[in-house]
Amino acid sequence: MTLPAKHPAPSRALTSRQRQGLFGYPFIAPTAILLSVFYLLPLLQTAFYSFTDWNPSSFSPTRPVGFDNYLGLFADGTFVKALLATGALVIGVVPLSLGLGMLLAALMRTPLRGRSALRALIFLPFIAPTVGSALIFTYLLTPFGGLANAPLQALGLPPIPFLSTAPWSLISVIVFTVWTQVGYTMIIYSSAMAVIPESYYEAARIDGAGTWRQFRSITIPLIRPTTAFLAVTGTLGALQAFTQIHVLTRGGPMGSSATLLYWIYQQGFMKFNGGAATAGAIVLLLIGIVIAAVQLKVFGRREGVEIQ
Amino acid sequence: MTTQATPTIVRWRRRPVSTTFRYLVLILAASLAAGPFLWMLLSSLKSAGEIAAFPPTFFPREWHFENYSEVFLRAPFGQYYLNSLIVTVAATAGQVFTSLLAGYAFARLDFPGKNVVFGVLLAALLVPFELVFSPLVDILAGLGWINTYQGLIVPNIPSILGVFLFRQFFTNMSTEIEEAAALDGAGVWRRFWSIVAPMAMPMIGAFTILSFVYNWNNYFFQLVVVTKSELFTVQLGLALFRTVDSASSFNILMAASTLAVVPVAIVYLLLQKQILNAVSGQLR
Repeated sequence: MTLPAKHPAPSRALTSRQRQGLFGYPFIAPTAILLSVFYLLPLLQTAFYSFTDWNPSSFSPTRPVGFDNYLGLFADGTFVKALLATGALVIGVVPLSLGLGMLLAALMRTPLRGRSALRALIFLPFIAPTVGSALIFTYLLTPFGGLANAPLQALGLPPIPFLSTAPWSLISVIVFTVWTQVGYTMIIYSSAMAVIPESYYEAARIDGAGTWRQFRSITIPLIRPTTAFLAVTGTLGALQAFTQIHVLTRGGPMGSSATLLYWIYQQGFMKFNGGAATAGAIVLLLIGIVIAAVQLKVFGRREGVEIQ
Repeated sequence: MTTQATPTIVRWRRRPVSTTFRYLVLILAASLAAGPFLWMLLSSLKSAGEIAAFPPTFFPREWHFENYSEVFLRAPFGQYYLNSLIVTVAATAGQVFTSLLAGYAFARLDFPGKNVVFGVLLAALLVPFELVFSPLVDILAGLGWINTYQGLIVPNIPSILGVFLFRQFFTNMSTEIEEAAALDGAGVWRRFWSIVAPMAMPMIGAFTILSFVYNWNNYFFQLVVVTKSELFTVQLGLALFRTVDSASSFNILMAASTLAVVPVAIVYLLLQKQILNAVSGQLR
């Protein structure tokens, strides 16, 4: 991120500039105040409550319990199960959505008749309301009458209840999430590839490099900052996956498709176990920060990452 | 990591990707992406029997347009639309207004503590508010805002993404006209409303579209703030449809989904270019 260049100015102008700069406070006030009340305050409370026996639905006083909530996370297997499901979701969603998006963007790099129509169609799932499109998938994946089971039925095989058996429920959530994300990664990769000078490819062709070699030696290295950006945002997005899980599987069967965020939701909103929910939230937050830092380090190694 | 390729592979690799191959993959991808929406539309017009039939039919044998009136009979979808519209318009207006102001301040004004506040914003990007929902609901309950429009709208107004987009826009925008106005004695406030804001119209338009779609599609936040059906939005009402009507009548469910998808689809159809530009403008 580059900060706006400060204009060198004579000292008298500087004072007027500083005076005018004070207008910055009323300008940022609405955002700053609302964020403090509805974002930072609850975040601090989350950290605080994670060391207490807070129960949002009861009036009994909240008492400190030390690290009990954190140790308690491992008491029953559901939290560990949620961690594993979250890991599977990230590993399933991020490489697939980045890889497919990169492939589609590469195929669209040079002009093609109908390109913008194809691009618009591929982007559609990203912009459609998740509840609506997840409902389409519940129909597609239903055992009787669902399109996904029609080939099995045609072969006389028993249908698979994709949304209510493990591991299919989590696989369905992964497939759905990839389906919604590919259009986005494609668009972002497209704009990154659009600024690569065509002369690089021409020079490579003159040197006898084939399509694959050009892709590997020119495109991939030059879009590396984009890959870093998408890997980080894709991972954070997968950690935040909620709506599709809620609509498709409700985290079931037996918690097999409940990711960490969904587990936190269940603890906080259905079991009113505020301590466990907030401790889980802090763990998820730390996981997100660590993964983002590692990915930025790995992918941003050479070119550095600009999140602009 | 260069590996010595065998001659045959080299020959295969040197062939340029044929146009036919590109079309094949891209059309397949487009069908997989958009096909489910077409299937939703066609299924919403089939009979209850046809929807579960094997082999499945593509076009409805009979067109059951009454499935849509059935949706409105089973649930107050008109009310849902109204609620969604109120919440979406208000939250979008709030997001555009606050982001425009803050983005300008971060790009153009120098004030003590600016970089600290900006750093906090950057860090806040890592914390989705889904994580902190239980204390947030507690705060909203304390304000008496559970099951209210303000509860659905106000916490959604601050937009970090919006602040970043406007900050970037103003950083890249020429300062000449503004400086000329400053020499003529126009103050910051006056310059902002008469010169800067009008010049930011393209960005305001792009962010309004993004914000509108985001707020229309929002679900998690509404789910934890609203329990009364009078305040249900389209997304909440639609999700409830699945719980109430589960396995039964996917044709009605698809009609309800169509009703939820259509407003976004229309906006997308009309403003496709602007939306794609706005989305890809996030990264540079």
